[in-house]
Amino acid sequence: MIGSYELAVIGAGPAGMKAAITASQDGVRTVVIDSFLQPGGQYFMQAPVEYKPLGQTQTEKTGKELIQQFSSSPLTIFKGTLTWGIFKEENEEEWLIALFGDSETKFIRSKNIVLATGAYDTPIAFPGWTLPGVITCGAALILLKSHRIAPGTRAIVTGTGPLILSVSAHLLEAGVNVLAICESNTILPKGIGHAPTMLSHMHRLKEGAKYMNVILKNKAPYKTGWSINRAEGNDHVEKAFISKVDKKGIPFLASQVEHQVDLVVSGYSLTPNTGLARMIGCEMDYQADRGGWVPSRNEKMQSSISGIFIVGDGAGIGGAENAEIEGQIAGNEIALRTGHINLKTGQERFQELQPRLRNQKRFGKLYGDLFTPKPGLISLANDDTILCRCEEVTLGEVKKAVAMGAKTIGEVKMITRSGMGNCQGRMCEHSITGAIVKALSAELATFKTVGFNSIRPPLHPLPVNFLAEVQKELDVTE
Amino acid sequence: MKRIIEGSPLIPKIERGKKIQVIVDDKRIEAFEGETVAAALLTAGITTFRHSQKNKEPRGLYCGMGICYECLVTINGVHAQRACITTIKDGMRIETCKELKL
Repeated sequence: MIGSYELAVIGAGPAGMKAAITASQDGVRTVVIDSFLQPGGQYFMQAPVEYKPLGQTQTEKTGKELIQQFSSSPLTIFKGTLTWGIFKEENEEEWLIALFGDSETKFIRSKNIVLATGAYDTPIAFPGWTLPGVITCGAALILLKSHRIAPGTRAIVTGTGPLILSVSAHLLEAGVNVLAICESNTILPKGIGHAPTMLSHMHRLKEGAKYMNVILKNKAPYKTGWSINRAEGNDHVEKAFISKVDKKGIPFLASQVEHQVDLVVSGYSLTPNTGLARMIGCEMDYQADRGGWVPSRNEKMQSSISGIFIVGDGAGIGGAENAEIEGQIAGNEIALRTGHINLKTGQERFQELQPRLRNQKRFGKLYGDLFTPKPGLISLANDDTILCRCEEVTLGEVKKAVAMGAKTIGEVKMITRSGMGNCQGRMCEHSITGAIVKALSAELATFKTVGFNSIRPPLHPLPVNFLAEVQKELDVTE
Repeated sequence: MKRIIEGSPLIPKIERGKKIQVIVDDKRIEAFEGETVAAALLTAGITTFRHSQKNKEPRGLYCGMGICYECLVTINGVHAQRACITTIKDGMRIETCKELKL
């Protein structure tokens, strides 16, 4: 017997939790699947349950309240569980969702799905970026905030966006010597135009100011219009070279400065995690200022496919508050569709959320304007630089594939195997697309025409013996 | 790479889980309940978790959230486990840099 639900939420970050809370409290039979052991996602990341906090930050406190509300809602939670496939036969009403985790449950069914799969740091390839000691902002923050571990002693932080400020401040408080914070974009002229929006987001300004204070107090240089251009080391990163970059993101090597480091933290804004949306076949659109490929949605957060809703950063970068509102809108709509609330209530609630949503969208616009990684950053890579870490495909090989006539990411994949490894292209798609666009003239290719890696199940590599069990269970069911 | 002992405004003090011991490449190392395998390896000074298949280059923690598959290690004889999202357990046997047969 496969458990059947009215709503399955994938991901228990701010967006997913809010969707699940909203729907389940209206009586929608809800299940939540999260790949982590504790709800919260990246933003409301918790310390391990085995730890006892002796104090908490404001974000931790806000997160705890939401998690408390979530955990006391009438819903089923699968923690530490990967969703590796979502399937539906044309004549069926319910989706079949395939799980891999500690629980015996391998499949569940649901009429509606909310994808709330979040985002990850946009990886930018530079020589030496595969060396141990080069990690993403996400990795650094998990070590610092959740595990209370300082990931190095001498660091360069490089990327774009507010996350590099947060990482730097946390590193400094952990006693790490932050030698330079390289923000690859130039903020000021554009930033001034967005001043009115910023003023309606005072708490965000305050959070930024808090990080900036730590940075200033420690005299760590925050350099806008700078980026790492290469890292060197034998078994671990030992040197980082930083330089100015122009408006397109191309480095001025004349300005290069060398630093002795044992840590490089890199995060060039965020990329929505859209693997499941792609697998299901949701219509996608390329919007650089929202993080790249994002699913098309209607105002109720429904994708191009009926019953599939997509919310939060996994649908376009907008931050935690935007994620919560989007989650609420989707949860409300599903409560309406499943007959748990009436049309009037549904519409009233939807209208009530609109002003807050619009305010968040203004912030999203500001964020996209200021912190979209420059396409020219692909110039950091040279022909020997690995772009696809899994299959070890270099920029030179991608260029060769383009010279052979490849114009899309799929064609480059067929020739080079890029994107065919364990990560399913999540780490290389941005760089390889940039490389194809750069190798061809603007009339021949844009980020849109190059396309995206198509995703087939399993979304994550699975043990062979597990797949055998899955087959057995399916045989019994059918 | 070391554990943060003192608290600060952004990283408030915390009491760690129980002290445990694990075996990493035949060496005994100390860890705390609740840590990930990656956190324990890094604080023990181990940063190369594996070598890449083709070029045999060192690889370690990268994304830290289970999506890049760079931090694969062998745990209790099972290959290709993600060190960044696997919680460490007392007595665990962890092997780094084992040739992966996928």
